[in-house]
Amino acid sequence: MALSGMRGLSVFISDVRNCQNKEQERLRVDKELANIRTRFKNERVADSGGRDLGVGSSHVHSAHGCGGPSFVLDIKCPTVLGLVQLEQMVIMNGMTFLLLRVNFQGLTPYEKKKYVWKMLYIYMLGYDVDFGHMETVALISAPKYAEKQVGYIVTSCLLNENHDFLRLVINTVRNDIIGRNETFQCLALTMVGNVGGKEFSESLAPDVQKLLISSTCRPLVRKKAALCLLRLYRKNPDVVNVDGWSERMVQLLDEKDIGVLTAVMSLLVSLVANNPEGYWNCVPKCVRTLERLTRSQDIPQEYTYYGIPSPWLQVKTMRVLQYFPAIEDPTIRRSLFEVLHRILMGTDVVKNVNKNNASHAVLFEALALVMHLDAEKEMMSQCVALLGRFIAVREPNIRYLGLENMTRMLLVTDVQDSIKRHQAQIISSLKDPDIRLEFSTYNYTVAEPHGLQLLCIRRRSLDLLYGMCDVSNAKDIVEELLQYLTTADFGIREELALKAAILAEKFAPDLSWYVDVILQLIEKAGDFVSDDIWYRVVQFVTNNEDLQAYSAAKAREYLDKPAVHETMVKVAGYLLGEYSHLLARRSGCSPKEIFIIVHDKFPTVTTSTKALLLSAYVKLLMHSQPPEPELQELVLGVFKKYESYVDAEVQQRAVEYFALSRKGASMMDILAEMPKFPERQSALLKKAEDTEGDSAELSATKLRLQQQVSTALVVSDAKPNGASAVPLTRLSSAPRNIDQMGLPEVAPQPPPYANGAVPRAAPATGAAPPAPPAAPAPAPAPSPADLLGDLMAPLAIEAPPGVGPAAAPVASTPASAILALEAPPSAGLAPAPPAAGDSLALALMDGPPQVQPIGSIADWFRSLSIKESGVLYEDPLIQIGIKTDWRGPHGRMFLFFGNKNAAPLTSVKAVVAAPSNLRVQLTTVPEIIPPRAQVQSPLDVVCIHASREVPVLDFSYTSVNVPVSLKLRLPVVMNKFLQATPVSAPDFVAKWRALAGPPTKLQEVDPNPNNIVAAATFYSETGGATLCLIRVETDPADRTQVRITVATPDPTTSFEFKEFIKEQLIEIPYAAAPPPPPPAPSPASMGLTGPAAVLAGLI
Amino acid sequence: MPVAASAIYFLNLRGDVLINRLYRDDVGGNMVDAFRTHIMQTKDLGTCPVRQIGGCSFLYMRISNVYIVTVVSSNANAACAFKFVVEAVALFKSYFGGAFDEDAIRNNFVLIYELLDEIMDFGYPQNLSPEILKLYITQEGVRSPFSTKPQDMRPPANATLQVTGAVGWRREGLVYKKNEVFLDIVESVNLLMSQKGNTLRCDVTGKILMKCFLSGMPDLKLGLNDKIGLEKEAQAKARPSRSGKTIELDDVTFHQCVNLTRFNTEKTVSFVPPDGEFELMKYRITEGINLPFRVLPSIKELGRTRMEVNVKVKSLFGAKMFALGVVVKVPVPKHTAKANFQVTAGRAKYNAALDCLVWKVRKFPGGQTELTMSAEVELISTMVEKKSWTRPPIQMEFQVPMFTASGLRVRFLKVWEKSGYSTVEWVRYITRAGSYEIRC
Repeated sequence: MALSGMRGLSVFISDVRNCQNKEQERLRVDKELANIRTRFKNERVADSGGRDLGVGSSHVHSAHGCGGPSFVLDIKCPTVLGLVQLEQMVIMNGMTFLLLRVNFQGLTPYEKKKYVWKMLYIYMLGYDVDFGHMETVALISAPKYAEKQVGYIVTSCLLNENHDFLRLVINTVRNDIIGRNETFQCLALTMVGNVGGKEFSESLAPDVQKLLISSTCRPLVRKKAALCLLRLYRKNPDVVNVDGWSERMVQLLDEKDIGVLTAVMSLLVSLVANNPEGYWNCVPKCVRTLERLTRSQDIPQEYTYYGIPSPWLQVKTMRVLQYFPAIEDPTIRRSLFEVLHRILMGTDVVKNVNKNNASHAVLFEALALVMHLDAEKEMMSQCVALLGRFIAVREPNIRYLGLENMTRMLLVTDVQDSIKRHQAQIISSLKDPDIRLEFSTYNYTVAEPHGLQLLCIRRRSLDLLYGMCDVSNAKDIVEELLQYLTTADFGIREELALKAAILAEKFAPDLSWYVDVILQLIEKAGDFVSDDIWYRVVQFVTNNEDLQAYSAAKAREYLDKPAVHETMVKVAGYLLGEYSHLLARRSGCSPKEIFIIVHDKFPTVTTSTKALLLSAYVKLLMHSQPPEPELQELVLGVFKKYESYVDAEVQQRAVEYFALSRKGASMMDILAEMPKFPERQSALLKKAEDTEGDSAELSATKLRLQQQVSTALVVSDAKPNGASAVPLTRLSSAPRNIDQMGLPEVAPQPPPYANGAVPRAAPATGAAPPAPPAAPAPAPAPSPADLLGDLMAPLAIEAPPGVGPAAAPVASTPASAILALEAPPSAGLAPAPPAAGDSLALALMDGPPQVQPIGSIADWFRSLSIKESGVLYEDPLIQIGIKTDWRGPHGRMFLFFGNKNAAPLTSVKAVVAAPSNLRVQLTTVPEIIPPRAQVQSPLDVVCIHASREVPVLDFSYTSVNVPVSLKLRLPVVMNKFLQATPVSAPDFVAKWRALAGPPTKLQEVDPNPNNIVAAATFYSETGGATLCLIRVETDPADRTQVRITVATPDPTTSFEFKEFIKEQLIEIPYAAAPPPPPPAPSPASMGLTGPAAVLAGLI
Repeated sequence: MPVAASAIYFLNLRGDVLINRLYRDDVGGNMVDAFRTHIMQTKDLGTCPVRQIGGCSFLYMRISNVYIVTVVSSNANAACAFKFVVEAVALFKSYFGGAFDEDAIRNNFVLIYELLDEIMDFGYPQNLSPEILKLYITQEGVRSPFSTKPQDMRPPANATLQVTGAVGWRREGLVYKKNEVFLDIVESVNLLMSQKGNTLRCDVTGKILMKCFLSGMPDLKLGLNDKIGLEKEAQAKARPSRSGKTIELDDVTFHQCVNLTRFNTEKTVSFVPPDGEFELMKYRITEGINLPFRVLPSIKELGRTRMEVNVKVKSLFGAKMFALGVVVKVPVPKHTAKANFQVTAGRAKYNAALDCLVWKVRKFPGGQTELTMSAEVELISTMVEKKSWTRPPIQMEFQVPMFTASGLRVRFLKVWEKSGYSTVEWVRYITRAGSYEIRC
């Protein structure tokens, strides 16, 4: 830069450098800017005052007579737009130089240069320079080199491709490019390359291309032309015309000059990346070039770097070759492999750092190429051996590269076995404390702070370990990782924990080991265990019954330790809340003791954990039925205390649980054990993939990798329990969050079983619910389409052969309720897989157009018969909800039809067929339900006399030309017309006695404390209010038998009631040994089990 | 008494510590690094004077080219801390002879350490009165007791007794040959006026400064034409108050020497003054303000590269008075290239650092005089097309002696002393511009 002599400029720069602080600097810069503005302005004034008129008029005379006046005006007021117009007009007449010379009359070239340099300096200091571009651009067309250079440099810094000003110079630049002056050509090409706008591409690319292939140009210019073209092509590949360039590239690759060849190769990399097919004919040339380089034939001295012939060109050539799929031609392939072999063999670690860097760059590119080409096994193992040598080297850079490439190699090819030989070495580089010492000597080669670099090495070795892990060595590796976790750098711990968790999950020989590993993980590095990890544990445990007791016991053990991490408290709280009742027999595991242990941690944890623990407490309480008074007192005390807690979530939970724990039966419903989670890809894997994504660069190898099928398939014993895990829609009566238990990651939340089914029987119910005769849909609830996808993938691979479609017909016949009753509770798992397979098979047979309900219609019906509101029916298109209100013999029912679809539902029809005992009136339902809308229609019901008949809703609709018609039973069951009547015990006995024998009283019993009795009034239009007395007897020793007695003044009512209750009880699946009975709310309630509780719920 | 500071740092603009003093152990010695890295080197500096980093609060202010940072870790009284800093700076200024900047600090390290020890103890502010401190912290060297000169044998003032006595702010036994009192009423006018001449915001903050050179222990009584005082007087004398303007003072604060009980009962300002210079009272007035100037701007943008600025300034005070140092700053767009001026008085030029046309008039005559400045501004065309100019308001600076914007007057200043000497009282008025802004 010809700065010598520009005193003003150097004074300014030294002024700025001497500024004490930013403020002074700004003042100085502002002053200078004002000065420059004044200078530029002065000169403009001089221009427009003096000469422009002359030019304008001469111009007018020469060309556009009519355009004259406006043109003169433009010059007087040189706005950007005006100038652009002006410029275009002038260019048309080839008068560029004239105009631009005119524009700069006021300042000497020296001054121009000086001010523009100052502007550039100010711009580089970070200040806005939003004027003076005109002057800069004008300098480009100056005839002298010094001015032209300033113009080009400042333009390429100050202006970006979108500036209008660039349009002014296109013509000048083009003249420079096609001109004969080589220095001007170089300047112009550099500027075009730096700015590289669309307009430049459009108007200059052909010239640049011509320059590249011209034989008369010096290599220097052609080099620049190649790079300029590369840049233009990268920016706008669609604008630069490269048709027919494959031939030219072949010619260009024959170039003898290495410099030009390197530039051309860069261009080729870019061209090939966009369109590998078109450049096949370049492959032999590339191989030839590579050969020439490796044999050091005909390489000028200036292109050898530490004895290596142009490492840059070698790397680029190999990069090009990686874009082509495997090379077929045997001769080329052979010579290529020969070259590669030569590179692999010829490289060694030497003393000189720069030489090492160069040779390793070549080597690693060669390795990448070897991987890409799928070389024979021998060569691969050669590579691995080489990398193994690198890993053993103490120099961190080389070790890093060795590890990284080994990881890549692992992903591409089948060399696991040979890599495994280096396992010990890799583990040692994960932990090696000596690396740190080693480092100081090499510090100067390392750009990053060395702590970071260290971490990189560790991270790479971790990646490699992660990649090479399989079933055979998983246990060792995971144990190594766990051991290392306590001493690892903080930066790496989170990743370490995540990877250990994934490996444990992927390759667990048995699941209890998995649980052990994760709990250890949480213990050792609690801070670094993300929530996803423990969510995953919970999912596994929930889905595997055999694991539940074990993990609960483990969690309990961990809680005993003095310092427990919060994540551990979370996971233990959850597991103990859900499953501690399985441990009840062990010493020190009574609900109360568990509560005390867990509550010990309560004060120190955060609010989110507090909320979770509250849920755990209420579950503990629920599981210990009949409630231990002490425990109840403790737990209720906690709830009471937190009813006024500052955090809304905790407070709400406390209030709701407190209220719930007094609810008895309904508490049981709501707090039932969590159903199984639908099988899904581990969120951890996704997370791990995300973190990997940004680290490695996108090379051809990587691209190919992505096309391969992910090897990470979750192997687990957990069979997706399709039918039982199918999410029912949430029942609105369940309080918010109760079923979530702090598992936000689990998206579709299956609610607890509304019918009060005890957990162990749950799969059985799911598998064989009795199909209502009226409903056309098949009994086991098939899944919606999206869920099906989830289910099918794992099933297809993992389901045992017996559970295939073959099992479907058996299961699809609606199993009777008795069958469900007889299913032994321990067989909980057994019926489940058929159900899953069944739903799958059904979906396959029915084909997609059939609209299937999501869940079981019978289940919905049953839950609605004891609830006031809920879902009656749901399929992927529509959801029908019900809300009811009963008063004496009258009832009002609201049917909500919600369209879940983006398309409207048409020809909607709903007709209710009422049986003789009821009078039903339905208001009309609109014919069309708009997308994502809900319509409601009220339904009035009057009970005429007692009967078990229920009305049937005949409902049909059409969505996108698929007609669907349904027959749904409406839950207008007898108990809806009952109202609890408080009756004192002697009163009850008196009334009981008063109603003599059949047919009014249908069974005789003896007084017994184990019985429960209930009194209610049945309202109907004909009978008015009828008192009903019910007595249920069970044998305390064996609660499988129940005797019911119903007494009412009216024989039909008695009969109907007896039948109705019987029906309801039989449908209820049998409760297994430790059923958690909720307290019955009826006045005569005593702690009674299963059926009684349901009965109480009914009444 | 609230804690005001755990440590005090004086930093220059680069963030180097010039001097510091730790008063408590609850902050680390390197806390100032946190200030440097988290506050000074970010752009937030200046938005909020109190910042919290890592459990410590940083209260800072910039005075000339020095940052004064107080660091506290407890829940300190921020107002107290700032008041302390302001007072300390005033104290330093009185010791250094008016200047307080980096150089002054560098030149007075020993003195500042001595003062810092004295004015705060374990985080609690102590006596900051320069008069008292100057009694025993002196800038002169200590004379040898064997000095032969008899006049130097004057016994040192009993500082302890002085500070803890009933009139802590005044020394006994002062004798002046000529007993004089100087009273200055200094007001600054804050104004924001809309384009059309409507007053959007207007208030006056004033203070009464005194300089006393009185012998003995005089008792002074000051009478102003303020509303409360006059009414009280009228009541006491059972006669209607004299006609004339009465002023309603808001937010009056007094120097500690003013006897507040007597002020509450009799509504008179009576006090035993400290020796030398002090600020007797401060007040604020929001109603009935006489504006000293009226500004009539007209700014026209002629096309993209030219602007015409025309500013007319009219004096509204009495014809016998005049304003000094009148500066009118008319903002112009950032890409101003040059400006041509025509002024009826004074001088005008374009200041690029401020992005303003600055018009200075040294002496502005009163009595409805109108002066104008008109300028033709040329702008340079820029790349940025759409950035419209957000016309900032015109700012004005001035000083008008013998004029009070509030109309406040001293009615009397009486001095009683046992010896009954006669005193000379001097009263001055001056009005300055605070933030005097006119939108254009």
